[in-house]
Amino acid sequence: MIDLVIIGAGPAGLGAAISAAENGLEVYILDEFVKPGGRLLGQLHEEPDGKWVNGIAEAEKLYKRAIQLGVNIRCGVSVYDLMKLDQGWCVYTTDNVMECKCLLLATGASETPIPIPGWTLPGVMSIGAAQVMGNVHRVKPGKKGIIIGVNVLSAAIARELQLCGVHIESILLPQPNLLSGDAANPEKMMESLLRLSHLAPSALIRFGGKWVSPKLGARLYPKNGFKMWDIPIQLRKSALEILGEKQVEGVRVAEITANGEVVSGTEKVVSVDFVCIAGGLAPLSELAAVAGCSFRFVPELGGHVPLHNEYMQTNLTGLYVAGNITGVESAKVARAQGTAAGLSIARELNALADHADEKIEAAIMEVMETRKNALIQFQPGIEEARKKLYSEFYETSEKASMI
Amino acid sequence: MGDNETVICRCEEITLKEIKETIERYQCSAREVKLRTRAGMGPCGGRTCRCMIDRLVEQLGGPSISNEISLSYRPPVRPVSFGVLGGDVK
Repeated sequence: MIDLVIIGAGPAGLGAAISAAENGLEVYILDEFVKPGGRLLGQLHEEPDGKWVNGIAEAEKLYKRAIQLGVNIRCGVSVYDLMKLDQGWCVYTTDNVMECKCLLLATGASETPIPIPGWTLPGVMSIGAAQVMGNVHRVKPGKKGIIIGVNVLSAAIARELQLCGVHIESILLPQPNLLSGDAANPEKMMESLLRLSHLAPSALIRFGGKWVSPKLGARLYPKNGFKMWDIPIQLRKSALEILGEKQVEGVRVAEITANGEVVSGTEKVVSVDFVCIAGGLAPLSELAAVAGCSFRFVPELGGHVPLHNEYMQTNLTGLYVAGNITGVESAKVARAQGTAAGLSIARELNALADHADEKIEAAIMEVMETRKNALIQFQPGIEEARKKLYSEFYETSEKASMI
Repeated sequence: MGDNETVICRCEEITLKEIKETIERYQCSAREVKLRTRAGMGPCGGRTCRCMIDRLVEQLGGPSISNEISLSYRPPVRPVSFGVLGGDVK
């Protein structure tokens, strides 16, 4: 029986594979995509100190280290079911059936859609899809596009598309309706934008981030938006409908008040050949659900997450989680979580030699440090939400052991 | 095109209007919406629309989103051929 199977070859999965293999475990990684690296493959940004972070190079480094340690990495393989065995787990893949002592789910996150009239037209895609087209496949999603949804992800990817030579007309809000919720509210979006302000190349926005209250910011927001990297971010404009006969030809937009109400008489059509929808990210936990994990709904972490502790254990023996399946955070945090998970698994399999506990505690400290130093906070209150989640884990496991 | 004609479940082509009317008429849960309209029952297994169905139910006065996953996941969680399901290995 294999020691450890990891599902997902992103920063968390590769990080875990490295720390587990360094302690002598036999490790397999499976990934649905054709290349290892997960969401690292899409990343390209400039840090405040002027250094460029190239996710493809980061992924390559992790991949090489894992291969050096004898980790087996299989890409283009999907896992469609999991089953608990007396001792370990059975993993059903599109290639074969594997049995392992421990299983780590590092499946990452998926994008949340925002439905808008016309969103099923060819040429409409999620913001992540545009990122993969540009940065991974080197294909332009179009010549001129609009991004619907103002958030951390859409601003970062707009910049990447610009570097690919694609013109981004603007980033604006979705139409206020039953499903768009906060995403259509200028005040709430101002709040989210201010969490990004320290990354902005414009000193004006950086400075603004320090003193502008979301309320004031939304009210005083210039009608034509302000620009980040020359891309207009328009918190007071909303996309009402995507237009086109056979494919995207334009977007009908209108001005909105600070509360998100459409101002009548301000509608106009902007012509574009593609549209990206940026609805944010949610942990991809379907395999944890079929495995039978307990769940908690934690909005700060992006939605439903499998109940787990800081050692990355779930409430099922031998089943671990790491990375964005545990909550949406940066790739650096995911990698640190992976390292902690790999060590915890090595300890469970009695492979962790001297100072086992110290090593694991150090890895957990590293996760917290990385979180504290993260450039981008996807949601406020992540640390508190995690503390609460871990204490619920111990409460429920105590209850279970008393029965 | 009106807001109501927006497609929510792309696999089964179920519109916002159909889902809204179902929730309003039966005051029902996300699971009941799925069983009545087939939204979330297509080949993708609700990967795209499940969160929208949950949200619509909550917004229109139904049960709010809780720790429990309202539309349960069932294997296979990825589309697979009958051959693979039958144990055909490469």
